[in-house]
Amino acid sequence: MARVKLTNVKKIYDKNVVAVHDFNLDIADKEFVVFVGPSGCGKSTTLRMIAGLEEISDGTVEIDGVVVNDLQPKDRNIAMVFQNYALYPHLSVFENMAFPLRLQKMPQEEIYKRVTEAAEVLGITEYLNRKPRALSGGQRQRVAIGRAMVRDSKVFLMDEPLSNLDAKLRNQMRAEIILLRKKIDTTFVYVTHDQTEAMTLGDRIVIMKDGYIQQVGTPDEVFDMPANLFVAEFIGAPKMNTFSTRLVKENGEYYVEPFGSKIKVTGLKGKELAEKKIETRDIILGVRPEHIVLADKKGEDSIACTIQVNEMMGSELHLHVLTEDGTPIIVRVPTVNLTHEQREQMVNGHKIFITFEGKVMHFFDPETTENLL
Amino acid sequence: MSEKKHMGMKAKTRLSNTVIYVILTIMSIVWLFPFFCIVCESFRVESTYQVGYVIPKQWGLDNYINLFTKTDFPIWFRNTFIIALFVAVFQTIIVLCMSYTLSRLRFKMRKGLMNVMLILGMFPGFLSMIVLYKVLNGMGLTGPNSIPGLILVYVGGSGMGYYVSKGYFDTIPRSLDEAARVDGATRLQVLTKVMLPLCKPIVIYTILTAFMGPWGDFMFAKYIAHASSVGMTVAVGLQSMIGTPSSLAANYTMFCAGGVVVAVPITILFMSLQKYYVEGVTGGAVKG
Amino acid sequence: MSELKGQKIDLSQDLSDLEYLKLTKLQGIVYDVIHFFKAVPAGIGKFFVGIVNLIKNFFGKIAGEFKDIFVTFKEGDFKTRLSFLIMGFGSITRGQILRGILFLVFEIVFIVYMAVAGFYWLGKFRTLGDAGGTMEYDPILDTYVRVAGDDSFKILLYGLLTIIFIISFIYTWRLNVKQNKIAQDILKTGKKLKSGKEDLQSLVDDEFHKTLLALPLTGIAVFTVFPIIFMIFVAFTNYDGAHDGYANLFTWVGMNNFNELFSINTGTDNLSVAFGEILSWTLMWAFFATFTNYFLGMFVAIMINKKGIKLKKMWRGILVLTSAVPQFVSLLYISKMFATNGLLNGMLLDWGIFDNISQYIRFWEEKNLARIMVIIINIWIGIPYLMLIATGILMNIPADLYESAAIDGANTFQQYTKITLPYMLFVTGPYLLTSFIGNINNFNVIFLLTGGGPKNPALLTSAGAAGDTDLLITWLFNITTGAESKYYMASVIGIMIFVVVSTLSLISYNLMPSTRNEEDFS
Repeated sequence: MARVKLTNVKKIYDKNVVAVHDFNLDIADKEFVVFVGPSGCGKSTTLRMIAGLEEISDGTVEIDGVVVNDLQPKDRNIAMVFQNYALYPHLSVFENMAFPLRLQKMPQEEIYKRVTEAAEVLGITEYLNRKPRALSGGQRQRVAIGRAMVRDSKVFLMDEPLSNLDAKLRNQMRAEIILLRKKIDTTFVYVTHDQTEAMTLGDRIVIMKDGYIQQVGTPDEVFDMPANLFVAEFIGAPKMNTFSTRLVKENGEYYVEPFGSKIKVTGLKGKELAEKKIETRDIILGVRPEHIVLADKKGEDSIACTIQVNEMMGSELHLHVLTEDGTPIIVRVPTVNLTHEQREQMVNGHKIFITFEGKVMHFFDPETTENLL
Repeated sequence: MSEKKHMGMKAKTRLSNTVIYVILTIMSIVWLFPFFCIVCESFRVESTYQVGYVIPKQWGLDNYINLFTKTDFPIWFRNTFIIALFVAVFQTIIVLCMSYTLSRLRFKMRKGLMNVMLILGMFPGFLSMIVLYKVLNGMGLTGPNSIPGLILVYVGGSGMGYYVSKGYFDTIPRSLDEAARVDGATRLQVLTKVMLPLCKPIVIYTILTAFMGPWGDFMFAKYIAHASSVGMTVAVGLQSMIGTPSSLAANYTMFCAGGVVVAVPITILFMSLQKYYVEGVTGGAVKG
Repeated sequence: MSELKGQKIDLSQDLSDLEYLKLTKLQGIVYDVIHFFKAVPAGIGKFFVGIVNLIKNFFGKIAGEFKDIFVTFKEGDFKTRLSFLIMGFGSITRGQILRGILFLVFEIVFIVYMAVAGFYWLGKFRTLGDAGGTMEYDPILDTYVRVAGDDSFKILLYGLLTIIFIISFIYTWRLNVKQNKIAQDILKTGKKLKSGKEDLQSLVDDEFHKTLLALPLTGIAVFTVFPIIFMIFVAFTNYDGAHDGYANLFTWVGMNNFNELFSINTGTDNLSVAFGEILSWTLMWAFFATFTNYFLGMFVAIMINKKGIKLKKMWRGILVLTSAVPQFVSLLYISKMFATNGLLNGMLLDWGIFDNISQYIRFWEEKNLARIMVIIINIWIGIPYLMLIATGILMNIPADLYESAAIDGANTFQQYTKITLPYMLFVTGPYLLTSFIGNINNFNVIFLLTGGGPKNPALLTSAGAAGDTDLLITWLFNITTGAESKYYMASVIGIMIFVVVSTLSLISYNLMPSTRNEEDFS
């Protein structure tokens, strides 16, 4: 149970390769923070610096108010779950989980109590006498989590713990981690490249790219108010559609003009634009696929497209369409409201009209890619 | 039609397998023949020189009895055994320390150290013997007292032979070390509680090769022991027994007996630990 | 110039990746060869630029060190400044007693040593002694006794040790100065210094490598590095049996010995001829010994591993048995077996294949036959080990590679040349290099089989005679142990072996893909 504070943390490898630039983050006690980003963004490096497995080139890492830069991993009182489980192949499941406790010279009784309790929670009691190689991937992952659980560590670090599992098991384990978190109730730092995991698990999400923090916020914040184009495209699946276009101010109202159409900006977004006194300018417009709706016919606010690919996902239909000038757009259509005739028209090569809801657009500066709002 | 082709494939496989069996059988004979001969000749009683047949006309243990009663062979054997034991212990410790450090720990001079080691390895090892001999000689550790001298020589530079076991250590995922360190282990505990138990094959491989080294080495042993019979190892002693044409004629069958006495225990030891040796070679040698 | 679909391509020009892909196989090879040689001048240029940079860096670093020392003194408090004279003073007064005492003890030992012995040996080092010991009549004992004089060997030995000691003292002194600066900086930020206890604890954790490497590196320094340095110096003296150091002093002779090796070629002394001949045979031997073993070992491994072959363990076991028997037993025995009066000739006579003794095959008495024999017997020795290695690698080749190749239409032979061989070569590149070097210095096989023979009168030298199968290493052994004991010539040859081996390694190291990054393997 501890607060983790990173101040101006940098990681510079030899030959001046900078893996992490000036990382600042204050993680509250019992908070669940997720580092997310594409591979090579520095998220794992940052986690490993907290763990003490990588030297901190500059800046400080504090756990519970103590600067731990010069402490060995063993003296930081942390627990960590590795991507490839890192179970000791020569030890049984029980001994694997007891390993950290044995190093603390804990009495056997206490070790037995803690390990069996953790095994009970994770549902691996019957495997306690087996060697790791006799277990399936999911079971191994549970043992790895169990080994981290048995200690009363201040911080619980997880480095892509689910990425070696298959899709179904991953969903299941994700749910279990949420439950587990309620039981353990400590500070979590979780690294993943999967935005779904980040959105579902994190109290706060740290989105990183090329060693820089792009945005820190709750799942709602990063989804609704992405700080820049990168975050906007990274969070959400399928990813946000973006196109270069103009933002036009007319009589105090704002319009966007993608592909020859003219769509009014409504709701909160319109108000915020006015508050920031934004004038007519070039922008990059971002619209999430689920915020694109079908229009009945050609109008001033609709765009004509041709369906290239349609993917039937069950509850929804993903349409990959091309505008007349060849720009690809992805549209998510919920199947529940579609009429039979409409469904029959959603085939490749068919022409449809689409429009956006005015209240859910995102506006980015084409130069800096920052969100205008 | 397809049936016919299937049969054709089967016949082809059978033919090629037969060819392989023939080759392997011939190879086995070629490889085993010298050992068969040396064993037979060691039991020959009727003559001590080289002859044109393998199976003795008269079998007997004379050569073995002479070997143990009329030569210094027991001393040579004892010398070699003592040397091999010490070398096995110290060389293993040194090689494992060296290879573990270079494989698992990261420190400033690591790359430089490995390069220096590589360059040092390019000097012929015997070169250093001239000065070592003079120094050991000055300390009285050559000739009759060559045992401690030879142990020092074998063990001294053995850190340079870290390649195979480093290659083996390299195959163990680094995240295991990291997990152990996060779990509260010091580097020393990582070594003793995780790495060594995991690397049993390479530990046994290292012990085995270290133990076998002194039995096979000739160059250093001959130089250090010089002409002193009591300071010789089996290799030097047995070679000196057949060093000249006249001694060859007189001692040939006895030499065979000596060879058998040396080879049998070593071979049994080796074959019983063969599993680890194979694992060590295949796991480490390639990557080193 | 080469024709490609009506369009001319100049193969000596740089091509883009896509243009390169258009070339036929032959053109591709020609292109590669041309560009390999085109790159040579640039490579040599780079090498020299690299050396110049290295030297520049070195002096830059030295200058940096001096500057740092100066700054440390200027900004240091009295503890730091006094530490320039009394090593460890700063550490002791700042509470790092253990470190301080170690520094101080080192300094005291150094000063005492230099006063008692160091300067004496250094003084003699330039000439390696002025007067040897003589025998003088002792009237009391009524006999001649040796009167102690200089001993060149001891002077060289202790002189070198003293120089090394001085260098390590300078390094330690520098470390002591640096420690003061670090300690001062740490104290300035308000942090605590490591105590002696923490210093000791870090030796099993943070600084564990120091603990682990202490013993091995000491061994290597004493038993490998120092002797090599010593012998390099010997190469510039006239140290031999006649100049043994105490009865007859030896002294510096500059580059004389190298000149001797490369220039002397008279009727009775063929030093340069012998060296050339032995070097070329050494390389030839290393080449054949390495590659015959490599390919045949792989071939045997493939045969045993083939699907459907039974008793795999037994076949392997029979071969591995040969590596279990100590080499000197099998080699000496086989040497005698093939001797002119040996078992083999005897058996052939017995069976009536030979009519009389004059038909005996003289395996060890004819140059080419002896050379071929050592290579063949080396195959017998080497195949089992190679077979084991190849087996390990073969098992690692993913089976789906073969399956996909078979589906793509590759037959067994093509699978071998297109998958097995490239894979093996890639993985075993470094091993091939090591084993090549090992064979250059393969003393046992040659010495125990032929003893370097047959002796060749054309190779008679002042350093001793050499034979047709002598390698540089066995020649070196003979020169050292022979009647003349030409230690200086042994040193020179040792250095030449190093030059040959390092050149070869450097070239092949740069050509091999798998040596570049050790992390790629894991």
